[in-house]
Amino acid sequence: MQGKLRQAWRTAGLLTAALAFGADAAQAQQVVGITKDTIKIGGMGPLTGPLAGLVVPQLNGVQAVFEEANEAGGIHGRKIVYIKEDDECLPSKGVGAVKKLIHETQPFILVGGGCSNAAIAQKPEIVESKIPWVIVASTADSLTEPVDPYIFSSMSAAWMEVYGMLQHAIDQGKKRVAVLWQPDAWGKARIEPMYAALKKANIEPVLVEEVAVEPTDLTPVVLKLQAAKPDAVMLILFPKAAIPYLRDAYKLGFLPLSVGGSPLGEIDVIAKGTGTADAVKNLRSLAAAGYAPDDPHVAKWKAIIEKRFPGDRFNVLHMFGISAGQFAVEALRKVGPEPTREKIIQVMSTLSVQTDTYAGPLRCTPDDHQCHKTLGVFALKDGRISGVAKAEPKR
Amino acid sequence: MTLFVYLLSSGLTSGALYALVAVGLVLCYRTTGHINFAHSELFMLGGFIAFTFHVLWGLPYIPSLLLAVIAGFLLGVLTDRAVYRPLIKAPPLTMVLATVGFSFLLKGIGRYFWGGQGEVVPFPPLASPAPVLIGTIPVFPQQIAVLSGALFCMALLTLFFRYTRAGKTMQATAEDVRASFLVGIRVERVYTLTWGTGAALAAVAAVLMAPLTLLTPDVGFILLLKAFAATILGGLGSMPGAVVGGFLVGIMEAFAGGYIASSFQDVSAFAIIMLVLVFRPTGLFGVKGGREA
Repeated sequence: MQGKLRQAWRTAGLLTAALAFGADAAQAQQVVGITKDTIKIGGMGPLTGPLAGLVVPQLNGVQAVFEEANEAGGIHGRKIVYIKEDDECLPSKGVGAVKKLIHETQPFILVGGGCSNAAIAQKPEIVESKIPWVIVASTADSLTEPVDPYIFSSMSAAWMEVYGMLQHAIDQGKKRVAVLWQPDAWGKARIEPMYAALKKANIEPVLVEEVAVEPTDLTPVVLKLQAAKPDAVMLILFPKAAIPYLRDAYKLGFLPLSVGGSPLGEIDVIAKGTGTADAVKNLRSLAAAGYAPDDPHVAKWKAIIEKRFPGDRFNVLHMFGISAGQFAVEALRKVGPEPTREKIIQVMSTLSVQTDTYAGPLRCTPDDHQCHKTLGVFALKDGRISGVAKAEPKR
Repeated sequence: MTLFVYLLSSGLTSGALYALVAVGLVLCYRTTGHINFAHSELFMLGGFIAFTFHVLWGLPYIPSLLLAVIAGFLLGVLTDRAVYRPLIKAPPLTMVLATVGFSFLLKGIGRYFWGGQGEVVPFPPLASPAPVLIGTIPVFPQQIAVLSGALFCMALLTLFFRYTRAGKTMQATAEDVRASFLVGIRVERVYTLTWGTGAALAAVAAVLMAPLTLLTPDVGFILLLKAFAATILGGLGSMPGAVVGGFLVGIMEAFAGGYIASSFQDVSAFAIIMLVLVFRPTGLFGVKGGREA
């Protein structure tokens, strides 16, 4: 009798274990990247190479949000496991990196992409594999136009910044506009929208000049600008080119309104680069981030980033990642305890999230996955970056 | 005429930067017969070391410069011990690959320690950031500092080669390694001194130039190309050639940007390399078939 009872218990135990294992296995089979305890999320960007300094902070921002969510108990009890692959911002490496993520790591969703060069090459792979992708900071319009059901961008699109930059100049009463741009993939993604914005505003630019990505001296360019007499200069430049321009323009006493985009968001750093705040007194920057790095509104995240990544100095790049991470976390929360890719796509396509680092909400609609709508306009006031306006560019 | 003078002054100050980097490059080449492709990364590390002492740790400018130069010298000695010495008898191509590989290693070290500081790291200027007028031409005091620093270093090197025993042994080794060895010169020690001095020069250049070029882990590459163009133009292995070549590259860049198109400014250095290699492979001051001591 006792032997039969023991055998019955053993059978029941085995059955329970088998059922539990079966349920787990079934869940794992049904939803890639989801287990009972974890949600696997993939991320890609240049972790090495010349652009690593721009994108590593962004992905650190994403990771910080995920780690904070995990410490607060996870998403419906599941911890996020964030696995990153290096694409060096090169199309050739980018495809390999994303294939590795898709086929080896097998994440539930992707939260990554810090530069357009690699992201454009990665897009067909991601679309084919039908993995939802939250773009962190790749801005090329072709990533989100036309709308793809799997791709959502938490970063302002290329056209938005240049339309906003020109509109800001027009709002200040400026009519003689010059444009400086750098001839790389980032600059090329903006110069065409800039021409379109100028045409729409019925403005013929007084000068359009191409400048090197890392120039040593831009005195010749400034001399040409001086001769063209613009009252506003649009800077489609990264700091490596914008700083020599602003420095040499200051040297020659040429200080018109200069308007740049997100890369010029750290005006205090740019002022230090030129050697003096006087060189940037007429510089305005339209940035995806809504706040200056030392704004009390983002003090919490400054502390978190500098604690979790001791080598990092908190800056706007982290803010891009934080907003992308918060967008993903909110979507995962809203999708409920039994997530599927179909459900999260549905959730994200109508999601509106006010993140901690952007001036306005990330707002997606089924017809518009360029979810970032509100740009901050910044200037340097009394040695500190200050928000002077907001912009919601429209075509 | 005014445009010409503006462009000339702009070219001279950029040229001083290129000349300073080119001198370090030539110093190694004329003594060892090898181009140090890691020179740009020694430059970058010199700049970041000075940044650490001066900006992060608050030391005054001059002590920071001296510490960066000492650190640069030690890095040069490390290059000699880690890369050059083990491959001293290897074919030249092996040495090229080794210095390129070492440059990647140094760049990785730069990114590891200073990569999280933002896209660019500003370095405060030595003097006031406000421009001063030389005649009617505005110039930054830092540009004058670079020009003076470059001329000072060149004068110092001339004196070093002419009047010191170490300088003379380096000259002798550059002339004929075998003969130097036979007369009792410790050639290996000369090589160590050469790599160390070259790297120390890179550190001086970095500290003087950082306020103008800004610091990034990749800052050295473009400057290396420009300095390389200067050495090719001046004659690979010729010290006066490197100086003249540096100034000429700077001036040609400024004129190309001012008189042709801005987009020509940065590519003119590469055009110079190609044209000189095709029409005068020995450069302006180079000697056919060998290094000029």
